[in-house]
Amino acid sequence: MDLFFEQLINGVALGSLYALFGLGFGIVFATLGILNAAQGTYASWAAIVALAAAEHYKLPFIPALLTGVVAAGVIALLVDQVAFQPLRRRGKDMLGALITSIACWIILDSLAGTATGHNSLSFPRGTYPSTMYHLGTIPLPVMQIITIAAMVAVTVGLHVLIRHTRFGAAMRAVGWDQTAASLGGVNPRYVVIITAFIAGSTSGLAGVLGGITTHNVSFMLGEGLMLKGFAAVVVGGYDDVRGTALAGVALGVLEVMTSQYLSSGLRDGITYALLLGFLLLRPRGLFGSLTYSRA
Amino acid sequence: MQGLWDFWAAYRSTLAFAIVNSFLALSTYAVLSAGILSFATVTYAAFGGFLGARMVLATGIDPMLTLPAAALAGAVLSYLVALIFLRLESHWMALASLALILITRVIVINIPVVTGGVNGMSVPLPVSLELLAVLIALAALVFWRLSVSWYGIAAQSVREDTAVASSLGIAPRKIQTIAFVISGAVGGLGGMLLAGALQFISPDTYFVNIAFTMIAGVVLGGSYHWTGVIIGAAVFTALPVIAQAIIPEFQDVANGIVLLLIMIFLPRGLVDPRAIRLRNKFQLPVAQAIKDTSSTKLDI
Repeated sequence: MDLFFEQLINGVALGSLYALFGLGFGIVFATLGILNAAQGTYASWAAIVALAAAEHYKLPFIPALLTGVVAAGVIALLVDQVAFQPLRRRGKDMLGALITSIACWIILDSLAGTATGHNSLSFPRGTYPSTMYHLGTIPLPVMQIITIAAMVAVTVGLHVLIRHTRFGAAMRAVGWDQTAASLGGVNPRYVVIITAFIAGSTSGLAGVLGGITTHNVSFMLGEGLMLKGFAAVVVGGYDDVRGTALAGVALGVLEVMTSQYLSSGLRDGITYALLLGFLLLRPRGLFGSLTYSRA
Repeated sequence: MQGLWDFWAAYRSTLAFAIVNSFLALSTYAVLSAGILSFATVTYAAFGGFLGARMVLATGIDPMLTLPAAALAGAVLSYLVALIFLRLESHWMALASLALILITRVIVINIPVVTGGVNGMSVPLPVSLELLAVLIALAALVFWRLSVSWYGIAAQSVREDTAVASSLGIAPRKIQTIAFVISGAVGGLGGMLLAGALQFISPDTYFVNIAFTMIAGVVLGGSYHWTGVIIGAAVFTALPVIAQAIIPEFQDVANGIVLLLIMIFLPRGLVDPRAIRLRNKFQLPVAQAIKDTSSTKLDI
């Protein structure tokens, strides 16, 4: 039974990473209408920058983490303004933005490979808190607690921001129709820039935490997160952050349990089967709103 | 003379891959020309590739026979995919086809009897450049005839506006199903050819990156005409090779930047029938006007 609870906590922690990443991915999709293939590289770069900050500049844990997160936000902002803004000016075009995001993915991925020397690096011991708590007989690493807490905090924060503030209303308006939003007195450019930054830094946070807990800082980090984060967004319903968070955690638990009790080969299969099943049977996801549609 | 021969030897394989990639790009274009963004080409390619390779290994039949077999397998699979996917709205379909690729990889890994599992399998099936040239010429002929056929015109109208198309008596669902089957056949064949050109296939051969490369090739070349697709795939295959020769460390970065620039400055791709039509239309009167003004000046 202990094993079950230990794995349950592992699953929730892993799922929190998927959820965090998915939150960033989902905001871009819902507000900016872009299927952003470059999103995974934000996570990789956040981890790389945080690692550099911790290793070379000897920053303590929290400042190093924040450096990585802000760096990811800035990269997302640059990508948006360089690759998406010129297309946006010409009118909505999901295909064009997908292609430019692929271009950015190729560029940032290969630069990340160069930056890490095509190796998988990891955070050295002592650059992050590694206390081990115990809940009865179940070990509870503090990084897992931090990951889960960060996911909950970001989810609540984003939910309040999107649903209960004026800026959130502007975000939703821009996501619905940019022209209509600007007629309503919203400056779409400003909203888009802030949204891109938020999305990038959220995914970046997942990247830094994931880089620490999985001991893997490389361009592969973002790719893994992106596929699972994408699944979390679709299963949860991409216009509701609560759905993404819940689906991400559920997917994490399902994966860990599958590899523990069934077979590790089926681990990815279950996630993707669920993803396809939801797309076919309930495309709006668990929490998605019924009337939402984008032409 | 020797230099020329070396050049040919060095770039022979690039040409072969350009042709193979053209098949995959044409498969993506086949559905895109009916207004559907689908990445499922990768799945058809994986099906065709693994099936063909396993057929040769298991039964030792003539490799030539596997080409139609792979195309047929892709077509059947794509028909089944169309039955399910065509119920979805456009952007959900794009996402679902991405999910299909992810699942394809999991399936490929989990049936090692057929696919060799994680380790992949080597494919003793040399595909000659001559054969590829003949096949791509054949494919070009098919796509050319299709583009001027009743089906081609109907597909174009479905792409531009589904509602208008159905009011004109075109059944969008039927046209799109045909598009899927064409895409499947070409994709299955392309997957087999890719296996032959690589001589080795593994689960990672047919994955998301190939889907993205293909769609990039299609849009780069121009998604409104089949010649653009072939040119786009060729450019996108040649680009890494050229970049490697010039700036080896940053070849991927150079690729990405070129792709980005083309998308920003040439959003309709390299080959754009609309631009060509417009140019032809305006060329005559403009030339006439210039002639007129110059002759007036002469008079004065």
